Amino acid sequence: MAEIELVNVQKTYPGRKEGPPAVDDLSYTIGDGQFVSLLGPSGCGKSTTLNMIAGLEDVTSGEILIDGQRVDDLDADKRDLAFVFQDYALYPHMNVYENIAFGLRMRKVPKPEIDQRVHDAARRLDIEHVLRDKPRRLSGGQRQRVALARAIARRPAVFLFDEPLSNLDALLRDQTRSELKLLHAELGATSVYVTHDQEEAMTLSDRIVVMSRGKLEQYGTPYEIYHRPATDFVASFVGKPRMNLLPARRGGAGRYDVAGSGLGVELPLSQPEVRVGLRPEECALRDAAPGDAHGTVKVIEPLGNASDVIVDLGQALFTVRVPGFSSVRVGDRVQVDTSSARLHAFDVETGRRLVD
Amino acid sequence: MSATTAPRVDTSAGSPRPPGPRPRRRRRLGTVGHRVLVALLLVYLLAPFVWMLVYSLYPSSALQQARPDLDPSLLTGASYARLLSDTSFLVPMANSAVVGISTTIICMVLGSACAYAFARYRFRGRSTLLLGMLTVQAIPVIVLAVPLFILLRAFGLYDRLPGLIVTYTAFILPLVVWMLVGFFDEIPPSLERAARIDGCNRLQIMVKIAFPLAAPGLAATAILAFITSWSDFFLAKVLTSTSASTLPVKTAAFQGLFAMDYTSAATAGVITAVPVLVLALVAQKWIIRGLVEGAVKG
Repeated sequence: MAEIELVNVQKTYPGRKEGPPAVDDLSYTIGDGQFVSLLGPSGCGKSTTLNMIAGLEDVTSGEILIDGQRVDDLDADKRDLAFVFQDYALYPHMNVYENIAFGLRMRKVPKPEIDQRVHDAARRLDIEHVLRDKPRRLSGGQRQRVALARAIARRPAVFLFDEPLSNLDALLRDQTRSELKLLHAELGATSVYVTHDQEEAMTLSDRIVVMSRGKLEQYGTPYEIYHRPATDFVASFVGKPRMNLLPARRGGAGRYDVAGSGLGVELPLSQPEVRVGLRPEECALRDAAPGDAHGTVKVIEPLGNASDVIVDLGQALFTVRVPGFSSVRVGDRVQVDTSSARLHAFDVETGRRLVD
Repeated sequence: MSATTAPRVDTSAGSPRPPGPRPRRRRRLGTVGHRVLVALLLVYLLAPFVWMLVYSLYPSSALQQARPDLDPSLLTGASYARLLSDTSFLVPMANSAVVGISTTIICMVLGSACAYAFARYRFRGRSTLLLGMLTVQAIPVIVLAVPLFILLRAFGLYDRLPGLIVTYTAFILPLVVWMLVGFFDEIPPSLERAARIDGCNRLQIMVKIAFPLAAPGLAATAILAFITSWSDFFLAKVLTSTSASTLPVKTAAFQGLFAMDYTSAATAGVITAVPVLVLALVAQKWIIRGLVEGAVKG
């Protein structure tokens, strides 16, 4: 059990001093026993952050504490954590048993205990029948399980995962994701999980750290991240299809109009210009008389249980997710109904959230 | 239902089969062609060796006539018995073994550590150093022969085994480093990071993870280092005279000014080639894996 605290953590790579730091002034606390995902696009610094927590990369400045103890100057093996790598990182010259046992041997765990722990972990992950096989003989899913078993057998205070599901096919990924959640519920160890897949982050995590360009965008529960995105980046990154983010000008008292469309929303703000955010699944479409229309249907993407209808508002495109197969057709003039949508508004300069 | 009852569409109707043999037959012809070529190449490569073997096993009188007499009853190991009991042959042979084994060990110990550093650390001057080592390889040995002779004599190493070992190490080490950098580069860095999490220090990562994984490469490189130092003639000829003379120099000495002892020369040639052959055969699986893995991701 462990609480991880990052205090003003920064990472700059030597020779790349001109650009922004790879990780810039991160401060947050990962609670004991929590499952926290680091979510963001490629190159946002999430893996670097994980590596710094693991001790695989040095911290340029700032501190990392585990249970109140500073660990950023400790070697990776002194931090009581296990790491599951994206490519599994199984030792090809050792069989599965040896792979799982290696970390325990290095820590001089007595032989009978190693044997018991290896078999326990293998049983838990259903890989007992491949213990004598070399990793190259295993399928991707089995390798994944061996990597997990290696982590579990160590019984660490912290589990670190670096996109562990990204090399699996879609079906296996969903299955393993559920198993991971179950495993975390059973073990209860603090877990930090790096992913660029928002679905993984949302389904697995107690809390999510959203990062962009080395900076922390938001740290919150999946509910907060989805319903109260702190920045326009979080708003556009989390949610599928993406949130509609449209520039809007203050029309009258509390009314903001989306340029060139006749679409307007009520917002208790005073800024002359904001970015309005509307989730596609919270909006609806209505047939409109030629004079009342907000825009024209441009594309319809049927998904089976729902359809994404992309409406051309004149100066911007607006996506609406409607249930089932859409009754509208390409070229129809429509009105966008935002009456039941939660309104989001962001500062045009800073991108920060403006409404509660 | 419609899928099962639908008439089959003849997709080939619009595109007639190209002229010439059918694909399977063409493939078989290709295989046969390859085999013939490989057989020809083998004959071309092996013929001199086989002829050398024949020369070492038959009395020279049987071979030095218009139609060589290859009657199996004439086969004899006398030449081997003579050479392998002759001190003037056994000493160069031992010298070659000492030089070859020592050079290989030194090159592998220094080269693997050096190559690992090149493969895993990014430091100032890394590329320049690597390129510099290759540049040394590009200088013809003959250019360096005289300076080397002067240097070794000045250090009291002329006609001494340590002199030869140092010289061969200097020539072979850059090649060893170059080859091994490629093999270490192939090892995914995540394996070493996993080992760090598992509690290995740098040395343990090298010994427990990197070296076992690069074993085919290490074997192939070691054999190359041994073969190069074991069979070198030119430097051994220039840098030794009598006491540190090696097998290739001794073999060449069978060629006299006016006559040549073909049988002894061929026997010495076979004896020189045998350790190399044995090594290559024993380690052939590793050598092939080593050479292939350098180019193709395993």
